[in-house]
Amino acid sequence: MEMKLFDIDIIEYGFFITAIALVLIGLYAVLIKKSLIKIVIGLSILDSGINLLLITIGYVKGGTAPVFSPSVIKDMPLTMENIKKISEGMVDPIPQALVLTAIVIGFGVTAVALSLVIRLYRHHQTLNIDQIKNLKW
Amino acid sequence: MKRILVIALLVVFGIYLAQALFMLEFGQQFFESGVKDLYLTASPLKLKVANTVTAIVVNFRGFDTLGEVTVLFLATTSMASILYKGRHKLGKRTVLFSASNIVTTGSKFLFPAIILLGAYVFIHGHLTPGGGFQGGTIVATGFLLMLLAYSDYKVSHIVLSVVESFAGITFATIGLFGLVYGGSFLENFLPTGILNNLVSGGVIPIIYIAVGLKVGAELTGLIYIALNEKD
Amino acid sequence: MVGSPVFFIAIPLLVAFIIPLAGYVSKELVRILPGLVLIYLLALSFSLMGYVMEYGTIVEQIAGWAPPWGINLVYSPFTGFLTTLMLFIGLVIWIYSYRFKNVDFEEGKKFFILFLMLVTGAVGIVLTGDIFNQFVFIEITSIAGYALTAFYRGRDSAEASFKYLMIGSLSSMFLLLAIALIYSQLGTLNMADIASKSHLMLPEFKILALIFFIIGLGIEAEIFPLNGWAPDAYSQAPGPVGAAFAGIVVKAGVYAVIRIIFTLFDVEGTHEFLIVAGLITLLVAEMAALKQTRLKRMLAYSSIGQMGLVLIAFGIGTEAGVFAAIFLMFNHAIIKSLLFLSGSYLVYNSSEKFISEVNGMGKYLPITAVLFSLGAIAIVGMPPFAGFWSKWSVLTAAAHEGMFMIIGMILLVSIVELVYYFRIINRIFFFKMEDHIEPKRPTANALIAMFALGVIILVIGFYPGLITGYIHEASQSLLDKGKYIHDVLSAGVLTR
Repeated sequence: MEMKLFDIDIIEYGFFITAIALVLIGLYAVLIKKSLIKIVIGLSILDSGINLLLITIGYVKGGTAPVFSPSVIKDMPLTMENIKKISEGMVDPIPQALVLTAIVIGFGVTAVALSLVIRLYRHHQTLNIDQIKNLKW
Repeated sequence: MKRILVIALLVVFGIYLAQALFMLEFGQQFFESGVKDLYLTASPLKLKVANTVTAIVVNFRGFDTLGEVTVLFLATTSMASILYKGRHKLGKRTVLFSASNIVTTGSKFLFPAIILLGAYVFIHGHLTPGGGFQGGTIVATGFLLMLLAYSDYKVSHIVLSVVESFAGITFATIGLFGLVYGGSFLENFLPTGILNNLVSGGVIPIIYIAVGLKVGAELTGLIYIALNEKD
Repeated sequence: MVGSPVFFIAIPLLVAFIIPLAGYVSKELVRILPGLVLIYLLALSFSLMGYVMEYGTIVEQIAGWAPPWGINLVYSPFTGFLTTLMLFIGLVIWIYSYRFKNVDFEEGKKFFILFLMLVTGAVGIVLTGDIFNQFVFIEITSIAGYALTAFYRGRDSAEASFKYLMIGSLSSMFLLLAIALIYSQLGTLNMADIASKSHLMLPEFKILALIFFIIGLGIEAEIFPLNGWAPDAYSQAPGPVGAAFAGIVVKAGVYAVIRIIFTLFDVEGTHEFLIVAGLITLLVAEMAALKQTRLKRMLAYSSIGQMGLVLIAFGIGTEAGVFAAIFLMFNHAIIKSLLFLSGSYLVYNSSEKFISEVNGMGKYLPITAVLFSLGAIAIVGMPPFAGFWSKWSVLTAAAHEGMFMIIGMILLVSIVELVYYFRIINRIFFFKMEDHIEPKRPTANALIAMFALGVIILVIGFYPGLITGYIHEASQSLLDKGKYIHDVLSAGVLTR
């Protein structure tokens, strides 16, 4: 069943739409929400959105995981042509490697953010960002 | 008022971005030839590593992984620095409620299984999907389970710190050996073996095991710092 | 040559991993190791600079794969010059903060690890030839920055750090988006490769990627209006860290923006954009500096304004303009660091760091006060100090292009700078000290560090020729896009 909206196939571009939606939700939380925890959660959602976007870019229609496991090679001799043929049916591995790194980095930043929230809470006894704004412009 | 403005801005941003992205054909690559073409052939043929993503993460783009490992190290150091409270580094935990019997008994069985799974994942990183980061996270989850089940579970800070440092030193040193014996930093200098064997890929599994241990130690340390911060 | 460019990254990382272990052995070791690393790397950088001035750019491959399949480091007259500058400032700051937190060992250990990583991250941003690798180094620098900003307990440091973190995370998001867009079009992440293939991108993607890059990197480079985090972070961080932010980190950010605009993309109107953005940044920041009542915030705004001036100079685009910009970066790094380091002692024992608290310090801390004044006069651009030559270069470069309105604005802003800096010098020497302040004498190592910077300001002021040769090479290296692409990609075939 094809669903078309603005001439786009929704099923196909669902990934992009979801990724962008996640990014927008994350941005909304970071910019509007008042509770520190919600802001950090927003950051996390933002990261997820971007990572999803990156992986979607690497998708190849009908492709399989870029792993040359025994079931894929199936006793074929390891020549350049054979490998090339197999690799044409594989998904792009680079976005996956990039996202691996990006997820870990995002996690590191979230951990630091949460430790700052803990310290802010210790100091001000509140998580409301309006009451914490001591520093003026 | 501010809310409406922000929403409007976000909607505009989203539409603009979506418009650009929809110009890409989903599932088709736009470019004629890219770096990945070489990666997909060189990984099984030259490096004898079955999991291409691992080959990219540890070898082709190993420098990024070194940076990433540093980021994790920095995150742990930063967390300890930000939450530091003076002489008494670690306080007592806030325990909201004790875990039930099911949890305490079950976790004793699950813990070794989880550790084994994690170790399996990072040792076989070059053969199956997975690797150092994934395996290390699983190991840390095992520790998290124990920390949640037993309110007095202790992990030795010193052991974690030593494992972390040693793993990091191993990674950097292997890289430097690559410079000395191979000609460039992080170059593979061990024999690569046969594809799909456990011992294959030269230094790649060794690096990934070090990364797995490091990540496991670091994440456990992170959890431990956060749990014990309340005096 | 006693090493290769990868040592600039590998050695500090190795030492950073070793420091926790070294801490169990001996406490002094923890302080000494970063210094030894910086000394070694600085020496290496000097020798490499000598090499590249004669033989040309060094391109080092990592992991044995030639670019664009492998990541590469590029040590060119331009990147090498910046690296040497950043390492030098890092070493000076290390000397200054050697006794820092002498009381508490645990905190000192963390400070030195974080500081070493801050410097290394910045050097990595400059030396790398791969956009995703650059992103990783930006994150390293940023996380070290977040932790160092929140280093002091109490006051509002956690808030400043959180603000920095939030804005920094937005910057990461924009960078990743830009990288995603570029990769989807070109299939490569190598800067030289992208530069040679950028015409293959769809124009919408190109513009969007460029915008995202500028927003993402502009946050590190403190372009208005993306610099909201900077005054808080600079003022709440410990003195040496503020100097590191102003002298090292922001330079790396500006470098990244310039590399994108000059090498990666060739889009109409980017130079005009640089001039406009630089002008706005300059005006807003300097006006804000005038209104400040706290010393470090004032220095922070002044620093942001100076970076605006650098952007204007780059925007002029001619060789004279680029020359002036690099010269400005050099002078600003040295002078601003001196101002932050000496200013830190002038307001040491106060909690609010009000400017009024420097009253009368000239009597009790004469050397520090003189050094601060030297820095202030130099940065405003008075001869015969170093700052004069760089300001002069900008003005002549602008005059060549007939941009008289810009010259007018720069002169106007210089007058503003004169006002707020001389206000302080006036207070230091001619006012009576406030009652509740106890001046803190700087330690010997701090004095040596500040002295070293002061000496350079004087020397370059009288003999600018000592450095202009390097800057000329550097500016040519930046402007020659074809050479960059050729140097990196000429390895062509794989090494194996």
